[in-house]
Amino acid sequence: MRAKFGALLAVFSLMGSGAAIAHHSFTTEYDGTKTFNIKGTVSKVEWTNPHARFYVDTTDESGKMVTWNMELASPSALARNGWTSRTLKVGDQVTVTGYAAKVAQLRGDARSVVTADGRSLFGGASDDGRPDSGQQQ
Amino acid sequence: MRQLLVAIAACAMVVPFAVQAQEGRGALGTIGALGQEVKKPPVRNEPAPRLPDGTVSFDGLWVGGGPVGDIAQGLPKGEKLPLKPEGVKLMEYRAQHESDDPHVWCMPMGIPRSTPYPFRWVQDITGGGVSAHMFQLHEGNIHSYRQIFMDGRKHPAELDPTWFGHSIGHWENKDTLVIDTVGFNDKFWFDRKGTPHSEQLHTIERWTRPRMDTMVNTVTIEDPVYYTKPFTVTFNARLQAPGDELMEYICQENDQYGQAGGHQNPFFK
Repeated sequence: MRAKFGALLAVFSLMGSGAAIAHHSFTTEYDGTKTFNIKGTVSKVEWTNPHARFYVDTTDESGKMVTWNMELASPSALARNGWTSRTLKVGDQVTVTGYAAKVAQLRGDARSVVTADGRSLFGGASDDGRPDSGQQQ
Repeated sequence: MRQLLVAIAACAMVVPFAVQAQEGRGALGTIGALGQEVKKPPVRNEPAPRLPDGTVSFDGLWVGGGPVGDIAQGLPKGEKLPLKPEGVKLMEYRAQHESDDPHVWCMPMGIPRSTPYPFRWVQDITGGGVSAHMFQLHEGNIHSYRQIFMDGRKHPAELDPTWFGHSIGHWENKDTLVIDTVGFNDKFWFDRKGTPHSEQLHTIERWTRPRMDTMVNTVTIEDPVYYTKPFTVTFNARLQAPGDELMEYICQENDQYGQAGGHQNPFFK
């Protein structure tokens, strides 16, 4: 089952051409070539605009405790895709994959979040691609 | 099995609009491919509804109707923006200062710029037909409204500059809403690329609803400071899925823009 689940997630990852909803440009804030994958504990959730955020306590390579600031889509965009303010909770064990900030340390654009109980949450990114407006963009 | 069902449900949710993320692919695939995809609304080919007085109804939740990334995408094929050298120069500067776009600092988008978030028209306040005032209520940047005077008044002779200007509207044949707007400030950008305008901007929007799920906004833009002649762009808006509503979006609540990329708010430089 896990293999099937993983395969499906891989398919989602390849679906591409997503209409991201955010208010700012991805490339001014995050590096599309600099990825991260961390495991840790959710220490705070901010269901706020223009982006929801959650914070993850983890240990860095030297063993020191650090806190990552993870950016999600806006609450309205997340809600339209099934999230609620209670989807991620303080204390949740999570694995987060995403893009690292261009300048700041310990800031990330969360692309996917997998919880310890197997839920996979599509965090989205900060890109501001726009929904199809029918004919022209 | 539960995980598989969750995955299938997630798959159904992420059926994306047929667009390309504007900023290409990252190491993990298409940037923005996950999480923020919007459910594709159903195709509705039937005629648009009408108000009691016969005027076409704009009722519904809409996304689009203006540029986000590049206003030139709304030009007729083969045409280019008639930019003066001053306009070219300003765009070149803005290309090097993308983070100065007021929109990313929670400022309004102005006109005719759109956002990726929905908006709704307030057209028929009394239930008897078009009201003396119309409004556009925007969820997105920044949870703002736009006022259009439909009572036949003219523009004041002198106006103080504002983000949405002074808008007067009228109907042509109960099918086309024509909105004439002046009195803009020069702060907002037409699009992510920084296509410019001055306080002398004059826009004439022509909004129609040729079928249930589509609105068409054809905008003529005049600005003698940055353009050699008027030009016209066309953008469609798409009716959103049934049951979707405007949601709260208070952009200033927790705007951390600039911290990840090391940018400073241009309004406080």
